[in-house]
Amino acid sequence: MWINTTENCVCKVVMDEKPVKIDKWDSGALKNALDDGAKKVLIDILGYKESHALMDGRLLICTIAIGFAMFALIWDYFHPFPLSRNVLMLCVISYFILMGVLTFYLSYVERGIFLVALEQDRAMMEPDNTWKLSSTLRKYDDVYSLTISYTDGKTKQERSASTSKCVASYFDENGVFCFDLFQPIVEAMRQDLALDKKIQ
Amino acid sequence: MGALDFLDDVRRMNKRQLYYQVLNFGMIVSSALMIWKGLMVVTGSESPIVVVLSGSMEPAFHRGDLLLLTNYKEEPIRVGEIVVFKIEGRDIPIVHRVLKVHEKVDGKIKFLTKGDNNSVDDRGLYAKGQLWLEKKDVVGRAKAYLPYAGIVTILMNDYPKFKYAILAFLGIFVLTHRE
Repeated sequence: MWINTTENCVCKVVMDEKPVKIDKWDSGALKNALDDGAKKVLIDILGYKESHALMDGRLLICTIAIGFAMFALIWDYFHPFPLSRNVLMLCVISYFILMGVLTFYLSYVERGIFLVALEQDRAMMEPDNTWKLSSTLRKYDDVYSLTISYTDGKTKQERSASTSKCVASYFDENGVFCFDLFQPIVEAMRQDLALDKKIQ
Repeated sequence: MGALDFLDDVRRMNKRQLYYQVLNFGMIVSSALMIWKGLMVVTGSESPIVVVLSGSMEPAFHRGDLLLLTNYKEEPIRVGEIVVFKIEGRDIPIVHRVLKVHEKVDGKIKFLTKGDNNSVDDRGLYAKGQLWLEKKDVVGRAKAYLPYAGIVTILMNDYPKFKYAILAFLGIFVLTHRE
């Protein structure tokens, strides 16, 4: 029998004082609650380190875009229109290019990944293993699919697993998120991926 | 519990998500602003879209019609064209037709306007002592119009509380809902 040491180590369990209750007809809220749940399993319970690089990239693009818009607004205020024409043109073009970059970033770089978690080697000898979590829940659909992809830090091998299940399996009638039903599923997926590594 | 439940979404966010929420709101505002500024650059007019607020140009334009303006320097102003102009001391620009034009050899012009539905020309509307309009008073010339599309603007101008209520509601909605 395989015994993975990390499974037995429950580093810290952070319980919310209040259970997550959402509007169960709002697909966005459903997806957010489930994503947060999966994040909680890896970060809070297993103690992996969250990598914010992906999200920070998006924040940076948005911030620069808004910076251009604000600059155009302020410049136009101090140098009324016919004078500010060239600056406005520059800002408008840059803004729309950045919106294009943002769209590209969201669909080709982020691709729905909501969490990148780094599993650090306890001896600090090997590079971190990377876990990437992405999910989809279509607007008028009730099937939530969670994809976990795992990259081994040492061998650079990548594996992924996904589950699709009706959202009703994780929420009760009132829209309260049942973390205790969701956690084992994420754990099992994670374990499968991690064990796979050991067998090879 | 109860009334403040809608804030739960916000309470569960971390600081990056909160910041993104603010950025998201900022981007909605910025997109509108940039489209407007972009139109300014393309049309050359400081106010490329205006709403007709009075019936002085009936039957050509009615209250609530939306006008698209252009203000290219190289196009001369001619009699019969509909121009939008500003008057010193008035906040709101006026949309009227050009009645008379005097043009000098060097291209300097002065012109008089009149509303199609008014019985007299606009001299009474101009600033005190002003007899003619000049190129610098022009905001733009009407190039296209959309009937009644601006009626919401008129409603909002007439009932400012309605406008602030809608803006506040949309702002809160965007800020408290994730993505």
